[in-house]
Amino acid sequence: MILLIGWKNVWRNRTRSLVVIIAVMLGIFGGVMATGIMQGWIEQRIHDCIYKEVAHVQIHNPEYMYNEEIQHTITDYEKLANILDTLPEVVAWSPRVKLFVMAKTSWTASGFVLKGVDPEKEMQVSELYQDLAEGDFLEGEHRRPSIVIGSKAAENLKLLNYEITSEKLDSIDKEVFSAGLVEKLKTLNKKRFRNEKDFRDELKKVLAKREMNEYGDKLVKYFSFYRMGTSIQVTMQNKSGEIMNLVFKVRGVYKTFNSVFDAMNAYVDRDILNRYTDLAGNEVHEVAVITADNETGVKVADKLSAYLPEQDIMSWRKSSPEMAMYTDFSAVMAYIYVAIILFALAFGIINTMMMSVLERIKELGMLMAIGMNRKRVFGMIMTESVFLTLTGAVAGMIFSGVMVELFRRTGINVEMWSEGMEALGYASVIYPSVSLGNYMGITILVIITGVVSAIWPARKALKLNPVEALRTE
Amino acid sequence: MKVIEIKNVVKIYNDSEVQVHAVNGIDLSFEEGEFAAIVGPSGSGKTTLLNMLGGLDNPTEGDILINGFSVSEMYNGIEKHRSRISPVLKTIFRITIIPAVIRGIVKLPDIVKRMKAERKLIDFRLNNIGFVFQSYNLLPVLTARENTELVMQMQGVSKEMREKRTKELLGAVGLGDRLDSRPSRLSGGQQQRVAVARALASKPRFILADEPTANLDSKTTENLLDIMEQLNKMEKITFIFSTHDARVVRKARRVITIEDGKVISDKKTA
Ligand SMILES: Nc1ncnc2c1ncn2[C@@H]1O[C@H](COP(=O)(O)OP(=O)(O)O)[C@@H](O)[C@H]1O
Ligand SMILES: [Mg+2]
Repeated sequence: MILLIGWKNVWRNRTRSLVVIIAVMLGIFGGVMATGIMQGWIEQRIHDCIYKEVAHVQIHNPEYMYNEEIQHTITDYEKLANILDTLPEVVAWSPRVKLFVMAKTSWTASGFVLKGVDPEKEMQVSELYQDLAEGDFLEGEHRRPSIVIGSKAAENLKLLNYEITSEKLDSIDKEVFSAGLVEKLKTLNKKRFRNEKDFRDELKKVLAKREMNEYGDKLVKYFSFYRMGTSIQVTMQNKSGEIMNLVFKVRGVYKTFNSVFDAMNAYVDRDILNRYTDLAGNEVHEVAVITADNETGVKVADKLSAYLPEQDIMSWRKSSPEMAMYTDFSAVMAYIYVAIILFALAFGIINTMMMSVLERIKELGMLMAIGMNRKRVFGMIMTESVFLTLTGAVAGMIFSGVMVELFRRTGINVEMWSEGMEALGYASVIYPSVSLGNYMGITILVIITGVVSAIWPARKALKLNPVEALRTE
Repeated sequence: MKVIEIKNVVKIYNDSEVQVHAVNGIDLSFEEGEFAAIVGPSGSGKTTLLNMLGGLDNPTEGDILINGFSVSEMYNGIEKHRSRISPVLKTIFRITIIPAVIRGIVKLPDIVKRMKAERKLIDFRLNNIGFVFQSYNLLPVLTARENTELVMQMQGVSKEMREKRTKELLGAVGLGDRLDSRPSRLSGGQQQRVAVARALASKPRFILADEPTANLDSKTTENLLDIMEQLNKMEKITFIFSTHDARVVRKARRVITIEDGKVISDKKTA
């Protein structure tokens, strides 16, 4: 009966209760989304970090870790290859030659890490080939060997150019860009710019300020292109310490969410590189291993350490300790966010329940007079609050469940901040990820908030003196 | 047999420096089966007296025995546990603004004892006294049936018994066909009849009704009093009600007139 009265009391002031229910619902939604976005982000970041950068396990010669010189290759490569081929947990592995080189184009120079890889094997441990902005990943035979560089490196080497061509003008989206604008752009036809600033400056000259503000970014993006096929001269040491110069042609440009990585890492065919560096086929600096999942990766690293004590073996946790830190940080952020939501919610519930008690003083006095003890009065008000929050919680669970599922399909676009995000290695489209545990955790917290918030109003009811309460109008 | 004995009762309210002698020395007793009216002008102390008879309030002086149980004693049982924090501790609380939670914890043992003592009193009311109020005071969210059942449920009466008795009682007050109506769909007279049914539900020793007809028109007043009279005669239920309505007074078999908190006449008719 107490439960029935509590439930019925929730619906006594429909509007007021609905406001709280919606607040609880949005609170849960906010909490779930905040956690989901944080987790989705981190999971994506960890995924990218593993599948594009560090793999699950990396194996090096310990010497190489102290001094990254060409001669510090992995010892007993055959034994390692044998073990990796027989371990069932290993999904794929790829040997890499890793050199620190200077790269030069006709316009500028830049330093980066040149990775000699076996394209087929590399494509099994790294998803980098999926991120090609242009070209391919070391495919086909060429007289001049191919190099794949990152978009940031291309920019640094002034290989990201801007040119307004008649073909591009013809195929421009007429819905977005007006005919007048296209006419103005035609005056810049066939002029080529080696960096974004020059192109923008030129655009500013022909376009009105308003047009520039509105279309500037879009135009810069639309008329940009990578100068594929440009020769890059790479300077490095060969195995005997001699300085070598090699020329590669850019036949692929990749763009990950991590612009720092994109600036630093270039890929060439290992066999071709070996011809110039005098390294043998079994001389590699790094072996990258991919396992079934992240946790298996850590276990496999331990296993390999036991089998191969003479090698330096690092799981992704060890090679990217910041990833674990990000995970903790995101959890803390999500908790802070949820705490703020709960705090706001508590005020709403206290207010509603307080009003609910205050306008029923006479009724409560009557109930106490005819024999309802304080435990029951307290229980009745707590029940009401729990029902109120529970209704909101159920609605919130369903609502956020649907929304999260929706966003998981479409992703949440945070492009407006993408510059800053990508510098940190985060994607500009987030796919929220929420576990059942998250749902339960947040819902339980919301219900606890409902119960705790009701204590004060319920206490108010407890302090009533039935005689005085009955005298009120 | 005496159900209520009022022994030289005084009730003083300390209303902002001014002392109000709401009840000023009353000696009365009520027998089982009485149908008594307490009559007096507004402010004469009727409500105050009825509240004390119902164990809702504590006499300042004198005592009231209900079924031989002393109301004062039950209240002393509660007051005994009024939290007695030492003055030193109290000052510390006040100065340091120690959160209410900690204060609550310090007081908790006393609070628990007090609630236990108070529960005795509340259960006593639940099982011995039926209340009817001037403004009906039904729970608006419950139907007539649920309002009537509520008291029995608190007493722990079984479901079948509750249902049976609720039907009987609502039938007796002429609402057998309105079992599932909410108060808002009932007239004032009908609501007050539900209130009478509710008061009877717990099988109390007597029913106290504070101006039960004050909000009713003359026809429904007549009707309600007929029902009360019938219950009194057939079921031997003791009714004590207050009023200042002459028509109601006429129905009573005992009329106690009070003025300024004192009994000025106590007449038995027929
Ligand atoms: N809680 C209270 N505080 C102070 N004075 C009160 C209180 N309750 C009642 N009184 C006073 O006691 C007197 C008797 O009141 P009451 O018992 O309500 O009379 P009645 O029911 O006959 O109208 C009145 O003067 C009233 O103002
Ligand atoms: Mg009165």
